[in-house]
Amino acid sequence: MDNKKVEILSIAALEIGYSAGRKPKILLPPLSARACKGELVAVIGKNGIGKSTLLRTIIGLQPSFGGNVIINDKDFSEIPRLELAQQIGYISTEIVRVSNMKVYDLVSLGRFPHTNWIGRIDQNSHDIITEAINKTGIADLSDKYVSELSDGERQRAMIARVLAQDTQIMIMDEPTAFLDVKSKYEIVSLLQDLTRGGKTIVFTTHDFNIAINQADKIWLILENNIVEGAPEDLILSGSFNNLFDSDIIGFNAEDGSFVFRNECRGKINIKGEGMIRHWTEKAVKRAGYLPSESDITPCIQIVSGDKKEWVLKTERCTISFESIYSLIDYLENRSDDII
Amino acid sequence: MKTETQISDINSAKFTKQTKLFFILLIILLIIVFIMDIFLRSVNLKSGEVLKALFNNSGSEVHTIIMKFRLPKAITALVVGIALSLSGLQMQTVFRNPMAGPDVLGVSSGASLGVAIVILGVPAGFISGNLQNIGNWVLVSSAWIGAGAVMLLIMFVSSRIRNIMTILILGIMLASGISAIVSILQYFSNETMLKAYVIWTLGSLGNLTAGQLKILIYSVSAGILLSIVSVKMLNALLLGENYAASIGLKIKRSRILIFACTSILAGSVTAFCGPIGFIGIAVPHIARNIFKTSNHLILVPGSIIVGGIIMLVSDIISQLPGSENVLPINSVTSLIGIPVVIWVILRNKRNSELF
Repeated sequence: MDNKKVEILSIAALEIGYSAGRKPKILLPPLSARACKGELVAVIGKNGIGKSTLLRTIIGLQPSFGGNVIINDKDFSEIPRLELAQQIGYISTEIVRVSNMKVYDLVSLGRFPHTNWIGRIDQNSHDIITEAINKTGIADLSDKYVSELSDGERQRAMIARVLAQDTQIMIMDEPTAFLDVKSKYEIVSLLQDLTRGGKTIVFTTHDFNIAINQADKIWLILENNIVEGAPEDLILSGSFNNLFDSDIIGFNAEDGSFVFRNECRGKINIKGEGMIRHWTEKAVKRAGYLPSESDITPCIQIVSGDKKEWVLKTERCTISFESIYSLIDYLENRSDDII
Repeated sequence: MKTETQISDINSAKFTKQTKLFFILLIILLIIVFIMDIFLRSVNLKSGEVLKALFNNSGSEVHTIIMKFRLPKAITALVVGIALSLSGLQMQTVFRNPMAGPDVLGVSSGASLGVAIVILGVPAGFISGNLQNIGNWVLVSSAWIGAGAVMLLIMFVSSRIRNIMTILILGIMLASGISAIVSILQYFSNETMLKAYVIWTLGSLGNLTAGQLKILIYSVSAGILLSIVSVKMLNALLLGENYAASIGLKIKRSRILIFACTSILAGSVTAFCGPIGFIGIAVPHIARNIFKTSNHLILVPGSIIVGGIIMLVSDIISQLPGSENVLPINSVTSLIGIPVVIWVILRNKRNSELF
């Protein structure tokens, strides 16, 4: 079997921007990146850097100012609008507000590039719509009005619409925006299922955890270039350090999260094991101290068991606390006494 | 699987039983009001006489009244109702604005300006001030151009401003501006022209010559055909232009087609019957609420039938059956349409839905 990945979407030296007055305003240097069949690609970058513009350029809603978008080895500009719609589907952050529109009708609009001149839904189209509705888990909503849906349900309906469009590639602008944690993860796992089924999905997100933990590949847009690779590759290469060139936030390559760069007030030795140690360390870090393995003073002795206790030993005194909350309160406000 | 069969039960036929039933009932109602419009008039005729006149050319007085006045007027009402409703439906979808309609956004005003320029602006002596003598096609074309110009202007503005209320206010400003221009034209025109124009502005379904009615029917038939062709485009545009483009709609081409269609429909009616208000904005909402759908495959024929019914009913009311008096048609349509519009505004406040 040929295990080589099929490259399905690529951008080559693509210049994105918008025309402001007579001169086009180019947002970023020429961008090149690739996505293969069955990949879930997360596009990340800071606010306003041009993620949405990039997606809109790929889908052809905005003109490019140089370079190419290549879909299935064919240059974008050579593909007519209708044929393009059979290959790429798009979901933006724009909310469809139409009264009297049933979920089924919304999903059936995805059949637009496949239906005849008056948009007749034949048996084949109906089957595809039904399948899309079932796949996205909104079968019991299909006769409801779009205006009655919750944010998560509406996002599913929009995804069903793109599924009905029957495209190889799906482009989504912040599919998890406005959603609560549960719906967010449901949507992402739905996207993962779809890529396992052979779809290629490129989506933007501000949720770093989702991008790192769920995406097959990341397009990281920085001020001066675009970096692509598996999330782990980008972590190891230190690419994320450049994402926010900020004094407040730093990237922690160990657990793949962004943390506040607190001023370091000093080191504290933490004695304890397991989960209680993990969360104590986290809290101590938040208070501005660096947890240390070496046997130094000050130190915190964690007493686990039925009654949890944190005993802080400093040069001057020994105090015990009943909760992390009171421990942190002391650490933050009495730092002069501790170090 | 249970859920799957459930979906196919509900949706496998595009036209559900209920939709079909509504269509049949509405068509029957349309036929009834059409016949009533012929029967119920200021001069009471016995129904036997009317029927006799309709089906055999007796040359009697009754025959003349029916064939020369009542039938053409009923046909005019039907055609006008269809045209205004369709243009309103299209405008509401294209502008994604529940308050859009040919009169509200100034499209009818634009058509009036076209007509005013022809009636008032053409220098005296070049043609006489009599409406009938001006080429009907010139009149109707100038109305199309006027309507089309306003449509383009509104499109230009609404592509920049999303706020519905702002666009409505602009439409009102536009209509006021146009009426100011018309006033200036009136000021400089002679008495005969002025009279012709004032009579025209009152709006009437009964003053059309046979030639004008023919042109109206041709234009509206063309409009209906274009509306049917644009059904799929209108459905896509419900999603907004970005999504519409992403599912393969050629935005520019469909806009041109729909604008041409709306201008022909609203312009032709305005040219021959004067500005008739509130039908265009109210009927699509009534159709949406009868059929509970946003699908234009149902809404286009739905608006055609409902529009015909409401315009015929308006005409019957304006005749004040049994009395000698006749109300201006424009007042009747306003009184019927305004409550619907108010209801839509109040409902929108609650749901913040678009249309």
